[in-house]
Amino acid sequence: MKVNILRQQSPFSEPYWESFIYDGPEDNTVAGLLDYINYNDDIVNTDGEKTGRIAWECSCLQSVCGSCAMVINGRPSLACETFLRDLKGDEISIRPLSKFPVISDLVVDRASIFESLKASNAYIEEFVSEERGDHELQYASAKCLKCGLCLEVCPNYRKGRKFFGATFANDCYLIYLRSNVMSKDIRKEYVSHFGNACSKSLSCMDVCPAGIPLLSEIAAMNRSKR
Amino acid sequence: MREILVIGSGIAGMTAAIMCAEQGMHVTLVSPFPSERSQSVMAAGGINAVLKNNDQGDSVESHIEDTINGGCGIAGRDSVEGLCRGAEDIIGILEKCGAVFTRTPGGKIATRNFGGQSHKRTCYCGTSTGKQIVTALVMETRRFESQGLIERKLWHDFHSALIKDGVCYGALLYDEASRSLEPIYADAVIVATGGQNAIFGKTTGSTQCDGYTAGRLFMQGAELKNLEFIQYHPTTIETPQKRMLVSEAARGEGGRLFYINDGERIYFMEDKYGSRGNLMTRDVVSREIYEAGSQVYLDVSFLDSKLIDERLPEIKDICSKYIGLDISKEPVPVSPSVHFFMGGLAVHDDHQTNIRNLYAVGECASKYHGANRLGGNSLLAAIYSGATAAEAINKAETGEEIIRPDLKDYIDAEVSALEKSMASMSSFPVMYVRDMLAENMNRDLGIVRDEESLDQGIKEIDYYLSICDQIKYDSSVLPYFNYSLKGILVLARAVMTSAKERRESRGAHYRSDFPNADDNQAYSSIISYDDGKYNVRLDKENAYES
Ligand SMILES: Cc1cc2nc3c(=O)[nH]c(=O)nc-3n(C[C@H](O)[C@H](O)[C@H](O)COP(=O)(O)OP(=O)(O)OC[C@H]3O[C@@H](n4cnc5c(N)ncnc54)[C@H](O)[C@@H]3O)c2cc1C
Ligand code: FES
Repeated sequence: MKVNILRQQSPFSEPYWESFIYDGPEDNTVAGLLDYINYNDDIVNTDGEKTGRIAWECSCLQSVCGSCAMVINGRPSLACETFLRDLKGDEISIRPLSKFPVISDLVVDRASIFESLKASNAYIEEFVSEERGDHELQYASAKCLKCGLCLEVCPNYRKGRKFFGATFANDCYLIYLRSNVMSKDIRKEYVSHFGNACSKSLSCMDVCPAGIPLLSEIAAMNRSKR
Repeated sequence: MREILVIGSGIAGMTAAIMCAEQGMHVTLVSPFPSERSQSVMAAGGINAVLKNNDQGDSVESHIEDTINGGCGIAGRDSVEGLCRGAEDIIGILEKCGAVFTRTPGGKIATRNFGGQSHKRTCYCGTSTGKQIVTALVMETRRFESQGLIERKLWHDFHSALIKDGVCYGALLYDEASRSLEPIYADAVIVATGGQNAIFGKTTGSTQCDGYTAGRLFMQGAELKNLEFIQYHPTTIETPQKRMLVSEAARGEGGRLFYINDGERIYFMEDKYGSRGNLMTRDVVSREIYEAGSQVYLDVSFLDSKLIDERLPEIKDICSKYIGLDISKEPVPVSPSVHFFMGGLAVHDDHQTNIRNLYAVGECASKYHGANRLGGNSLLAAIYSGATAAEAINKAETGEEIIRPDLKDYIDAEVSALEKSMASMSSFPVMYVRDMLAENMNRDLGIVRDEESLDQGIKEIDYYLSICDQIKYDSSVLPYFNYSLKGILVLARAVMTSAKERRESRGAHYRSDFPNADDNQAYSSIISYDDGKYNVRLDKENAYES
């Protein structure tokens, strides 16, 4: 199987495509495939040239940490839960997320996700003494991996702009319902950095590996008139 | 304002940072990646605490006894008492910062059964307790970030500590962006870098926990403790990319273990240990599975499918996604795999190491679990230890100005050693050595060990150590992987040596050549390093307990 990877040596160098042949087990994930290619003493591309190991980020290898987010055959996905058997065609293309600066190869710097949350004082500080609203939805919301897949597909999200995207809206919802002191402020932040600009393409929900029902969160936020 | 450097931003590191900031200190919180990527998010099952309003007849005393007994009598009683007595407050802290605990219909925090425990005391947040706690602590950390009291430094790795005459003054960090070493000075350094997974290759946990920091600090004079006690989790499944955990919650909810003999199911744990057999401590269950000698299955398929969907959805999801098996219809083939490290940096009750102003918290420290950890006690210990270290640092404030020694020579030497290494090239891939090490560790330090396998393991690691300094820079991986190799190898050698020196069987350390426990060895082991020499002693004087 031919694997085409968009590579980049450093944040300042030019990206280029490099191809490899994968002859490992078929019952594997893309994470397993990257490991397999990297495992050999020498890694060689399809032109027979020795090349450097492919940099990619991983931690949990079971789709709970969001490290391995990348674009696989055009779809933003987690490498550790994307099985080769589910990919169409006999070639695979893998590239880094495009909405974040590349550090090297498939590793990107997703600091912007955290910067926008910090800029809007997104924290609970003090829990409302008794839970209100939908428990299951709050539980789902707190599972957000901050992987950035939702921002990759979002037609409105661009780093450095005022629209902070689905990761932000998700946390606003959690804070809005659980915080005794930040509810009001976070709602304002939500309106100015999400509510007014989301065009509801909702492609974010299709790619969310945690299956977070953002639409329900948006509905709850829009209903609120605090 | 006092400057604190926290290295590692999982649950233990964040707790330490928050508690220091709360007491007015300024914290630099270092990790290569955000907290969302730490192993802490993987904890599924829960966190132990005896809550005052529990209706199970549970008491803090029985939590203490279960923990001491689970650890086979070698954990310090005072420390365990502190941990268990502090548990309810910890749940309170987590609640206050918004963690989404599962509740009973009456609104109380729900609890479940976990292995080795006399009562149902494991509080949980659905099936993603660690993740839910991380989300809450990330927000609380952010609150102090907004106040300028916590400053996160991402893309930074620990290189070494700045130590002179037994006192720590900060650390050298490797900055992946500028690709250079950077000294950070601090009044106290708190290490929270998690377990030693990488010496075994891929474990149930995170690939980020490599043990390097503990290994390097050991080479710099910090003592390590109880390294021979490595927890094999009894129920893991084989997937294409690693062995994955099937949480103890499955057995907590009634799951049964069996193997097949002559077409008949043998419920070996129940046969041997009675009705609570499936929930024996992990060391016992793992060894029984090992001794069963044939494929063991975990069965929950007889449970009500609604209960499975409600209480075990994560397990259902993992099995369906990674091995194509529906747990509500079929039993799951399981076997034990490396999961948790009871050993780590030796710390006093205040979590200070033998080096002044150097603290260790969370899984990288060894304190509460003795020879075997109870499920649900490590999230508790991660938070308790972080809070304890912060409180101790606050109390240790003397108002005296700390006079920093001149560390320039050390820093210059390390900077030029790294630069020199990066300018050289090697055809010997660093990752290859790491893979070989993992293979050896898994082979020679399994659930059952003996002198011969341990001697073999030591010989192999000594060989890697002998070539390690000759391996020049492997440009195909990050500089961190290059400079961390030696610390990882030294740690592995220390683990092997500790296992060799404990000539008895206790908890997770089972020696086929010494199958019984020996009262004369009922103490923690301490290992120190002196220029290539590894010295092990039993802590009979309780040097690390009050
Ligand atoms: C699958 C699984 C399930 C579990 N379930 C439970 C459970 O139900 N209950 C329970 O009590 N326990 C459970 N545990 C154990 C528990 O999750 C861990 O012991 C605990 O989370 C450890 O937290 P920590 O903060 O010490 O370390 P970690 O969360 O591992 O954090 C370590 C931090 O250090 C950083 N770091 C590592 N090396 C360096 C370096 N060189 N330089 C800078 N930073 C570095 C990492 O990036 C990370 O930020 C489970 C573990 C696993 C693997
Ligand atoms: S490695 Fe954690 S989500 Fe893939």
